Amino acid sequence: MNEQRTLDCSTADELAAAYAFGALDSDDDRAMSAHLATCDQPHAEAREMIGAAAVLPAMLEPVAPSAALRDRLMATVAATPQEHRPAATTTLVRQPVPVAEPQRAWWQFGPLPAALTAVGLVAAVGFGAWGASANNQVAERDAALRAIASADSIHAASGAVGSGWVIESGDVAMFMATDLADLPDDQLYEFWLIDADGNAVAAGILTDPTGVALVTLERGLGDAVMFAVTVETERVEQSVNDPVMVAALDA
Amino acid sequence: MSDDRQADARLAERIRSGDTTALGELYDRHSAAALATALRVVGDREEAEDVVHDAFVAVWRKIDRFDADRGSLRPWLMTVVRNRAIDRVRARRFNVDVDDADERSLLRTGPNPTWDDAVRRASAREVRAALAQLPDEQRRAIELAYFEGYTYREVADLTGVPAGTANGRLRLALAKLREALIGTTAAPLSFADRSLSEEAHR
Repeated sequence: MNEQRTLDCSTADELAAAYAFGALDSDDDRAMSAHLATCDQPHAEAREMIGAAAVLPAMLEPVAPSAALRDRLMATVAATPQEHRPAATTTLVRQPVPVAEPQRAWWQFGPLPAALTAVGLVAAVGFGAWGASANNQVAERDAALRAIASADSIHAASGAVGSGWVIESGDVAMFMATDLADLPDDQLYEFWLIDADGNAVAAGILTDPTGVALVTLERGLGDAVMFAVTVETERVEQSVNDPVMVAALDA
Repeated sequence: MSDDRQADARLAERIRSGDTTALGELYDRHSAAALATALRVVGDREEAEDVVHDAFVAVWRKIDRFDADRGSLRPWLMTVVRNRAIDRVRARRFNVDVDDADERSLLRTGPNPTWDDAVRRASAREVRAALAQLPDEQRRAIELAYFEGYTYREVADLTGVPAGTANGRLRLALAKLREALIGTTAAPLSFADRSLSEEAHR
């Protein structure tokens, strides 16, 4: 690497317009920045020029970006820490678990699950094909990304029908999945929250699992230690079916 | 502080606090202008959208560097967009490390209150009219430098004039734009017709 070039005050003033238009090579650009940052002379004229070029884009006709760009940006931002703030505190996840454990009650599983990170979740939300049932897909996606960004906790869920996440943000809980298996028309997914005593309460249903599925659960996670998904022919208040997906919530 | 700048300060503070919806608002306000700038420089829609994406992410990451007392968000954002676009163009030509160049470009300039007002006020017609009043060689120098990413030395080579002349054209053009858009020639003509010594460009 070359030794850094230095400028005297006269040269700095002479190069100010080129600096303003971004028309210096890297060495001069560094030298100019360094000079203005350290010189005890005011260089008022040079400093005033610096913002001049920002007026030039106003001559251009605006060009509307694609809708996908906003989605992609918000997905990236949700997963990108700011320089002045510590990395997102989103916590995840345990080890995966096979759904079927026939010798035990279906909610009595061992440590969960495969580490799917919040970044992976954000990417899935941002880039996934959203279900046709979403009436306002952009708004829903933004809502999901906001939920992820502000999540108090995210728990990975996995099972025979795919994988997903349970996202807790304040009193609100959501379930999201990107690759749930399709169901026959006469079946639906039902969600359950199970407390430490084994009491299960219904928390919502999903009838169209295509694309990115996003469901706000009917209740917060509260004292639940387990989340589960079953397949039913209609919504029920007690299920006798084995779960097709589970997530531990007490991580 | 003007109302616009106060609004910018509030928006920046929300972004600084980690509010992603605030960045979404910034995007909704300025993404079309940002894409126009990026597209003008890189010439490819897909790549221009990548530039805009990366620029907004950079603003998100580096918002703590923004000082609302020194200017407003739009000029800063446009500088970030333009510099990143130029970094890509230069990278194509000279195999520059884009990440390194982008880092420097973000650190290089800050908002400027004098020009912020012009940026906020000036219509597309006014800016075009101001540019149209420039002599061809000055307008061409700006085009090559700002929108095509050439250094003033490269502008000199491309237009067949000494480096000092190319730099002088940029200075004169800037002074005339200032006069047309801000309404004073108070600043920089003292150097405008000065031919730089070759030592200064070596």
